[in-house]
Amino acid sequence: MLTRDSLYLLMFGSGLLGGIGHCSGMCGPIVAAYSLHLRPSGTEGKPYTSLPHLFYNAGRITTYSIIGGLMGLTGSFANIVQAIEKFQAIAMAGIGAVMILIGVATSGLFSFGRQSAISPGSKSIAAAVTDAVRRGISFIAETQTSGSFYVMGMATGFIPCGLLYTAYIAAAGAGAGSGSQTEGFLKGMLMLFFFGIGTAPSLFLIGRIAVLKREWIRKRFYRISSLFMIIIGAMLIYRSFRY
Amino acid sequence: MRAGISIVLLCCLLLAAHAPVQAATEAPDCFIDQGPCTKTATGRQVAFEILPRPVKAMKELTFAVRAIGRNTAPTVLLDLSMPGMYMGRNEVILKKTPDGSYSGKGIIPRCPSGKKLWRAEVTIPGAGKVSYTFNVNP
Repeated sequence: MLTRDSLYLLMFGSGLLGGIGHCSGMCGPIVAAYSLHLRPSGTEGKPYTSLPHLFYNAGRITTYSIIGGLMGLTGSFANIVQAIEKFQAIAMAGIGAVMILIGVATSGLFSFGRQSAISPGSKSIAAAVTDAVRRGISFIAETQTSGSFYVMGMATGFIPCGLLYTAYIAAAGAGAGSGSQTEGFLKGMLMLFFFGIGTAPSLFLIGRIAVLKREWIRKRFYRISSLFMIIIGAMLIYRSFRY
Repeated sequence: MRAGISIVLLCCLLLAAHAPVQAATEAPDCFIDQGPCTKTATGRQVAFEILPRPVKAMKELTFAVRAIGRNTAPTVLLDLSMPGMYMGRNEVILKKTPDGSYSGKGIIPRCPSGKKLWRAEVTIPGAGKVSYTFNVNP
């Protein structure tokens, strides 16, 4: 029989092991893509901090912990997954769409300045719509706050993943065997928290490598990084429809 | 030089999960949708079945094992895994039923990559291990 401590250790180990081969394939391209487009912080000698990656991972772990808590609370994997399945597909498509927009905005192929392109006298609806889209894309591409990385991480936490499902099944099982719903919730939440912590090092490493070698990559592969982002975005949208 | 090594490391990490880890020769040896599959473990025939059929991912399933001969163990362990892809530890404890077989409930997760080949490894105390590879409907 597993003790509570060894259960959490097992979840951490599962996340750590799965993070290398599994999460790095699913979330790794997202992390690499946003890392390649990070703006320098302005601090001399340390232009790129680890904060975006920390907030991104914190967001992801938050989502895992909440869903894990719900699995533990209800003791049912199937019911919760059924309830969030549509939302998972929407989140995956949404992240894909945002990545495509950022990829297009940073490709340099189009002009996406914050300044309005419409002359004050212009009344064309088409021009107004174009301008609104341009401003929207510019806003998404340029917003790089801790909060935006946290939200991106939270949204990424909804991306369906087989490894994650196994962790949720374990949380639901632990919740079903708990004495009360509160205990089940806490157990499920902590299990997924430790699982999430385990998956963080590999994604953190991908992000740091990508950001540190950002200039090297961008110098040699001009516009490729934007194209990479667009491809990953399209892949996520395709997967969301197939899911 | 260091930059090159870093890029190679990054590419390796990203490609790790996308690599065709499922060997080309990997094929199901059990057609679980058609009924129980029987294999031999240390001279004893062990039948493995999943209900309801067709076997679907993300649904609660009943796993059953029947071993020919005298079964003294109160439980047998069923370990579910995906060949070539680490999917975490997914174990189901099958309890002995009055008719001498073992049964328990569990769930097989869906892999968004589209892979559907799974392996169930049954550990029977005194009879060793026997595994079945089968496809699961998404």
